[in-house]
Amino acid sequence: MSKVPTQSQINLDWPRQDFSRVPYEVFTDPHVYALENERIFQADVWNYLAHEVELASAGDFVTTWIGSAHVVVTRDKDQSISAFENSCAHRGAQLVTQVRGNMLKVACPYHLWTYSLKGDLMGVPMAQGINGKGGMPSSFDKAQHGLRKLQVKVHAGLIFGSFSSNPPDLHEFLGPHSLSQIDRLLVQRQPKVLGYLRQRIPGNWKLYNENVRDPYHGSLLHQFQVSFGLQQPTMKGGIKLDADLKNTWNHSILSESDKEQQKWVEKAFEGTGKYNPNMKMADPALTQVPLDLGDGYKTTILSIFPTLVIAQVDNTYAIRHLRPKGPDLVELHITYLGFEGDTPKQTYEKLLTANFIGPSGYISLEDGEALRLVQEGIKSRAPGTHEVLEMGGVGAIEDTDYLSQEISIRGFWSHYHKIMGF
Amino acid sequence: MNAIELDYAIRHFFHVYAENLDEERFDAWTGLFDPDQCTYEILSKENKDLGLPLPIMGCFTFGMIKDRVAMLAKGVLTYRRSRLLRQVSNVQASFTEDGHVLAKANLVVYQSSEEGVSSLYMVARYEATLVLVDKRTLVRKMAVIVESFGIDTMLAVPL
Repeated sequence: MSKVPTQSQINLDWPRQDFSRVPYEVFTDPHVYALENERIFQADVWNYLAHEVELASAGDFVTTWIGSAHVVVTRDKDQSISAFENSCAHRGAQLVTQVRGNMLKVACPYHLWTYSLKGDLMGVPMAQGINGKGGMPSSFDKAQHGLRKLQVKVHAGLIFGSFSSNPPDLHEFLGPHSLSQIDRLLVQRQPKVLGYLRQRIPGNWKLYNENVRDPYHGSLLHQFQVSFGLQQPTMKGGIKLDADLKNTWNHSILSESDKEQQKWVEKAFEGTGKYNPNMKMADPALTQVPLDLGDGYKTTILSIFPTLVIAQVDNTYAIRHLRPKGPDLVELHITYLGFEGDTPKQTYEKLLTANFIGPSGYISLEDGEALRLVQEGIKSRAPGTHEVLEMGGVGAIEDTDYLSQEISIRGFWSHYHKIMGF
Repeated sequence: MNAIELDYAIRHFFHVYAENLDEERFDAWTGLFDPDQCTYEILSKENKDLGLPLPIMGCFTFGMIKDRVAMLAKGVLTYRRSRLLRQVSNVQASFTEDGHVLAKANLVVYQSSEEGVSSLYMVARYEATLVLVDKRTLVRKMAVIVESFGIDTMLAVPL
């Protein structure tokens, strides 16, 4: 009996071919959520697992999530990296309960079935029985009872895993522009982990995918940025999409001419009560940290389908990973980075600017609330209603050189619709 | 000051501290810090156990502490307007050799929605260095170690 929902249980209406109308059921329907595990997370995609610096030594492991699947990622003695489902091949017990650590082998606590760090079954206690009684049948073949393994590929220290037996080429999946941005952020300098942040947003995981593909909201929701000169609606920027329209790079560049357009900003936000041009910070040091890279980009957000975001926000550098916990909850997991060779001053400055991001971020805390409000708002909607994505224009889905747009969100939906098959 | 007097003073301090935040009396809350020398950090237990330096909320100067609540009071930030009720327990305090007070306590925070639905928001522990100045208790260092570091929605108001 299949537990995967059938097509007839899902009734979605996509009235526009340019995806400027998205049915709200994609965010709320538990059948859609269940089908996403089959058609996205366990299908022909590369899912972000971890960064190599988190598995520095042989025996190091981390646990993570791909959709609803709990996955263990290990580094073996031969330095290879493996990933497998966190469920014993015997009777399903969760094998590893810690988030990270070091182990020589994987042993199930229930019956002590033991696996290698690659997920191969090595030992079954009492397989031969005791005193000639019991034991496994002669037909039992350990080689047939290993853990469910993922294919693993590493690029620029980023570890990707796929449940597919025939995943796409990873470089093609990422796309040439993504590769150049990954090089810019994670290859030109060697990252190290300064810490982790977790924000459990009571909204669907795809709302967050919309949010990072939505530079339109950046200077409207995030008034801190506008009030203290980090982001202006008039600043130069835009988006680049990959060939499948599923990955988006959005970027903004702050220049002196943006200050001259302050009058436009004041008029746009007049009466909202949120714009505070005369507000001064008691300690503005975090807004005065110089950008490490010196290439003029104030914010660059690279969103890679389905759950990875590599983000530079001002002088913060982070890997963001989405871990869906049901149709209406997603854990936003952030790996916050410093770099080898950072001076103590530079490390301190990265702790200063960390106040922009994460669950208490002057910028990012608001995304948690905004997405919570969306999920609350759509819960009470009648079936068959849609969100409206027309900012920036309708029709073609292509790169832009402006920020006031929702075209990249339409790109995400065009790919989602294609691979979900409805 | 003997041990019983110290115990009373520090429990009273934490009750005032918590109520100032519950009622969003932000000026009164910043008034509990030593303006000449103070830090306030909210740290995840995850990062603390790993020895990683990243705070969830890191205020390394008095100015940064004031800014954190000014952003809320002046309406700069869009945040979840739950009613938060802080419950401090298991307060323990001791004097250091140089006359400061090391204090620790448990913290549980409940949140209640606009429609009166309550739930648990936060589980944490305080670790503080306090000083007694002119019969006032002031914070030199406040670290809030958060055990529920999978933060529900967001963390805007300090703990």
